[in-house]
Amino acid sequence: MFQGLKFEPFKLPDEAESIRQEVREFLARELDPGTLPNSDFNAGESAEFSRKLGAQGWIGMTWPKKYGGLDKSFLERYVVTEELLAAGAPVGCHWIADRQSGPLMLKFGTEEQKQRFLPKIVSGDYFFSIGMSEPDSGSDLASIRTSATKTDGGWLLNGSKIWTSYAHTNHYMVTLVRTEPPSENRHAGMSQLVVDLSDKNVTVTGIRNLSGEEDFNQVFFDDVFIPDDMLVGTPGNGWEQVMSELGYERSGPERFLSAFRVIVEFAREIESNPTDEQLVLLGRLASHLVTLRRMSISVAGMLGDGKVPLTEAALIKDLGNSYERMVPEIVRLAVSGDCSPRFVDTLNECILHAPSFTLRGGTREVLKGVIARGLGLR
Amino acid sequence: MNEQQQLISETLNRLLTDLCTPEVVDGSESGAFAENLWQVLTETGLTAAGLGVDAGGSGGDLEDSLLVIREAAKFAAPVPLAEHFIAGLLLSEQGQSIESGPVTVASGKFVIADDLSLTGSADGVAFARWCAQVVLVAEGTDGLKLCRVPASDFEIVQKNSVAGEPRDAISVNSKVSAESVFSVDSQVPERIRLMGAALRALMISGALESVLEMTVQYSTERLQFGRPISKFQAIQQQIAILAGEVAACQMASHFVVDSFSTLCEMDIAMGKARIGEAVSICTDIAHQVHGAMGYTLEHSLNHRTRRLWSWREEYGNEREWQKLVGRHFAAQGADKLWDSMTAL
Repeated sequence: MFQGLKFEPFKLPDEAESIRQEVREFLARELDPGTLPNSDFNAGESAEFSRKLGAQGWIGMTWPKKYGGLDKSFLERYVVTEELLAAGAPVGCHWIADRQSGPLMLKFGTEEQKQRFLPKIVSGDYFFSIGMSEPDSGSDLASIRTSATKTDGGWLLNGSKIWTSYAHTNHYMVTLVRTEPPSENRHAGMSQLVVDLSDKNVTVTGIRNLSGEEDFNQVFFDDVFIPDDMLVGTPGNGWEQVMSELGYERSGPERFLSAFRVIVEFAREIESNPTDEQLVLLGRLASHLVTLRRMSISVAGMLGDGKVPLTEAALIKDLGNSYERMVPEIVRLAVSGDCSPRFVDTLNECILHAPSFTLRGGTREVLKGVIARGLGLR
Repeated sequence: MNEQQQLISETLNRLLTDLCTPEVVDGSESGAFAENLWQVLTETGLTAAGLGVDAGGSGGDLEDSLLVIREAAKFAAPVPLAEHFIAGLLLSEQGQSIESGPVTVASGKFVIADDLSLTGSADGVAFARWCAQVVLVAEGTDGLKLCRVPASDFEIVQKNSVAGEPRDAISVNSKVSAESVFSVDSQVPERIRLMGAALRALMISGALESVLEMTVQYSTERLQFGRPISKFQAIQQQIAILAGEVAACQMASHFVVDSFSTLCEMDIAMGKARIGEAVSICTDIAHQVHGAMGYTLEHSLNHRTRRLWSWREEYGNEREWQKLVGRHFAAQGADKLWDSMTAL
């Protein structure tokens, strides 16, 4: 029998709401009103901003105090994250370390790894990239060929990763590699290694995206020695470790807020004298956004309770990404020709980044496959 | 869902599976009121589950009635549960109790004179031809009056929605009895509209869930090219989109339910707007997956999809509610847009 998806309403607790005000005050101080904010998590980075955020305690804020965290709840982190994105803060430097690398180490890392890396992530001193895709392995992640072979005291890493954001400026990369040759179980035999991006045998080559920015890269490994203590978790367990993070990765506010600044600038553009059509559109966009946010908070609540709602998370990402793609395309037709430069710049930046929204973190096709499986179709 | 609601849901599902068959739905469209269904729902207390005992109800919470109305929509139940509930709420505010009815609500233009002669008309009145009474708001010389009028006082011109549900044009020119007329404040017509929009949003959300369920089911049973069509990626991807829309409606409807007691305008407006918008995407996909079979009058998919096309227009379609939402946010100003969204 078909079982429906479950999205129960969830109210953010008071402590999460009270942190919202603090974040807003911080952002009002720190964000330069002269620069154009961008709510796409991947489109702005500032090491200085990340360090200031770290000084507030808002990187790794859910982690235990002994590793520099604040022991805050997952929902308090949710509020900080959505406030940063909505304001268009440059979160690129610490983003992956905060969302993925740190939690991975907390869950699977050794005590030594936690002590070595987590406090430095919290302070905004260590930035992480994530090494998953390869030139021949995109959506079919299990087909990766980058491999590490056992050697005395560690592993010898060879191969290449691609589309790794900020590998040219970040310090480390958690890299999914084969530590055993492929077998019948294609998900077996993978491990996660922490690669020091400053290693002389690591070569980082920038790739320009279509807007001309060079924030992602191809990373080459040529006999890179990885000490044993830089393997995270259990050798051979890499696939499961990666998959366990997907609920967090796919259901957050970054999956529907990437185009938010376009809506803000649209609202500004029509502020003085909106037509009925413009009000209708603003209301439509807002109704979608508020609903998506409530779904995302619902999953955040489930994650906070220790559940792993993978189908629901995939569904939020897919629905949210479609929304992000739709926003600039319909907003551009809802204004008259005579627009402010601020509006035009925001719109154009969103349009140029939009193709990445439905690719990064799982393409829309892969996500729909996950949803279909959840519905019992596969 | 609390225990009481779990019980209601189970009872209702059992009853409707037996009594609200495709034949009954078709029969209603051919002109036969689902008398037996209404009677059983009344006897089990489900037509007034959320009304107080003094009001002629079962003494449950408002949410109980909302649940009944949403669940019944999954079965395309051809009875005026929503209108009966609105009428019951309006009457209960006047210390009146609702009769077994059914009772419908008319939104139109009515005037009541000091001698209690009522004149006026309304269009699109749900199920008027099969109702015992009509509750309406009329303009009196000293303000608005809520009137409870026997349906037999009206001239009724039978009209149907695209779903084949009665949406009659009614008119009246007769005296009403003094004990059926109550002074009400000027907000009542707007409250009726909000209640109507909220209930239609819930009904749409319920029917969409049923459409998703039917579509998943059909795709796993229908064999083509030697395998169930659910095994084709093209079909899977379409149904995944359908599921996304249904999930969004599920979330929006939770907030409609939560805001019903206070009739919070923004939540109801966003709910009707968001849920109504899902209809076009979902009916498109459901019919495509069901193929020509689903396009027949015989297949019960159309009991849901035609109702969806009808309900999305009633008590304000997406455009109207989107405009209201847009006006609210536009009034906050661009730099307060996010604050006002998180404040909801």
